[in-house]
Amino acid sequence: MKIISIIKQVPDAEARIRATASGIDLEGVTFVIDGMDEYGVEQSLRLRETGLDAELISIALGPKRFEEAIRTSLAMGSDRAIHIETDEALDPITQAKVLANIIKEEGAELVFVGGKEADWDSAALGPAVAEALGWPHSDWTTKLVVSGSSLSVTHDSDEGSETLTLPLPAVVTTQQGLNEPRYPTLPNIMKAKRKELKKLALSDVGSPSGKTQLLRQEIQTKSRLNKVLTGDAAEAAKELARLLHEEAKVI
Amino acid sequence: MATVADRLGLSKAQLGDFYDLEPLYAPEEKLIRDSVREFVKAEILPHIGEWWQEGYFPPELPKKFGELGVLGATLPEEYGGLGASYTAYGLINREIEYGDAGMRSFVSVQSSLVMYPLYTYGSEALRQKWLPRLATGEVIGCFGLTEPDAGSDPGSMQTRVKKVGNNYVINGVKRWITSGSRAQVAIIWAKSEDDGKVHGFALDTSTPGFKAVDIKTKASMRASVTSELYLDEVVVTETDKLNVVGLKGALSCLNQARFGIAWGVLGAGFYCLEEAAAYAEDRPIFGVPLASKQMIQMRLADMLADLTKGSLLAFQLAKLKEQGKDTPPRVSLAKRDNVRAALQAARAARDILGGNGITTEYGAIRHMLNLETVATYEGTDTVHTLILGRTITGHNAF
Repeated sequence: MKIISIIKQVPDAEARIRATASGIDLEGVTFVIDGMDEYGVEQSLRLRETGLDAELISIALGPKRFEEAIRTSLAMGSDRAIHIETDEALDPITQAKVLANIIKEEGAELVFVGGKEADWDSAALGPAVAEALGWPHSDWTTKLVVSGSSLSVTHDSDEGSETLTLPLPAVVTTQQGLNEPRYPTLPNIMKAKRKELKKLALSDVGSPSGKTQLLRQEIQTKSRLNKVLTGDAAEAAKELARLLHEEAKVI
Repeated sequence: MATVADRLGLSKAQLGDFYDLEPLYAPEEKLIRDSVREFVKAEILPHIGEWWQEGYFPPELPKKFGELGVLGATLPEEYGGLGASYTAYGLINREIEYGDAGMRSFVSVQSSLVMYPLYTYGSEALRQKWLPRLATGEVIGCFGLTEPDAGSDPGSMQTRVKKVGNNYVINGVKRWITSGSRAQVAIIWAKSEDDGKVHGFALDTSTPGFKAVDIKTKASMRASVTSELYLDEVVVTETDKLNVVGLKGALSCLNQARFGIAWGVLGAGFYCLEEAAAYAEDRPIFGVPLASKQMIQMRLADMLADLTKGSLLAFQLAKLKEQGKDTPPRVSLAKRDNVRAALQAARAARDILGGNGITTEYGAIRHMLNLETVATYEGTDTVHTLILGRTITGHNAF
């Protein structure tokens, strides 16, 4: 069985990001493998370690710098990697089409995608990949077992969590709690240097045209009402409930 | 609490990288650094204050270091090493000493003072006998050169070796030996009664006549094992003998270890800078943060400046070492000045922390006291100064 983990490289959560009037200034920022993508790589390793006969492939679509994130996944234990190198800013639907082509070509049966990758925080890529492939998918997955040609998953839903069974092939998006990713050991880091990292151009995978175009970026500002409720606690609570219900319409 | 890295606009991955060396590291060097950092964060930092206080070196730690892959990292893979660059080895030392100099000493001794001479001067049989198990941490090694009355002048050692039949017999005392009582293999240097020259041996510590007693009264390096070794008619075979004659064998090992120290102490120094800056921000004085006072800022600025210069020194020394240009005077300069920078940073941090600075709940005093050892072992500040003086003038002032 081939298992594919989709990898992105994103700014380190601990890095200080500067927002300017024209967008995000990434100069001097440290980039790392996306934390939720890392759950996917870790889960593929654990599936193999618990007896599944599988080849583990990391696939990334993005600029040259993504290479470092790919190397991290190889050092963690993926067998080989494919990097579709592009500087184009593609929307998730377009990315999904590109990725679906290569996933089909590889004949993979299970694909991991970070639940909500920290680049655009859209949570759209996983479902879009499933859609492009015509495969079932489980989003926000916290537990996963492969048995034969099916997949048993527990995932977060709006009401709590659900446990489902899906036929393979399938797409799984990750959620915190799925696992605790390992840090690569030094011998594995050195071995990763010898693993295959295949480079492709966007045109090799059928350069689709984007659905969206980035025109400009601005910083989102949230203004506060600064309303203070006075009076005794019971009165204030009633007033708060009324405001939340009638004005904010959130309950 | 804002860390100094935040304030400098640096992520933690760039800790101590004020002059942006990051792009000069190879991809695997960065990955190695990051993994060792994660290891130190998970396995050492949460416990080190208590270990140090209790004078405890966790017996399971060598195998954990082995699994991580930091032992003998620069040796070829066939002997359990990684074939890693010296830059990577330097980064390993720095990240571990960010945790504690005693932990780094264990790794330094195992890698530079035991695995290095076995690999460089050992027969193939001797290499195979010890190296793979030293790399996994299954076997611990120690290095016996210093004696109670022979430190900076190792040539005056009293330990003697004599050829008896096909074997050698060693008698003597070695002191200040890291990992001594835990070791299964000891690299012992002794003066020959036959040729008057210094020879090295890799002896199995279970050999009759070998005894190790721990030095318990240390106020420094308390989480590291330091022992005295007694060798009473210890018999070793011809295969246990290292293939090098004279003190240069032992000194070549020290050149390796001193390189690791020049990197390692930067970790302790940057820990202290980070801790002091965070503390100064958090602690009010006369109604304002301590960090808003000029005297504090001056000291933090000095720490950053000294440690940044030390980082550049260590980096270039690694590049020189990779080309075989790490001459002893170059190594002396980096060892001497980087230890000075780290020790001053630790003393300043301890002072900035005031009363809290005398407890092991913070790292400053632990690092400060550890660094007193680091300033003493592997060539004292004075020894390195005299090596540099001799390099400039041609006069030996020892």
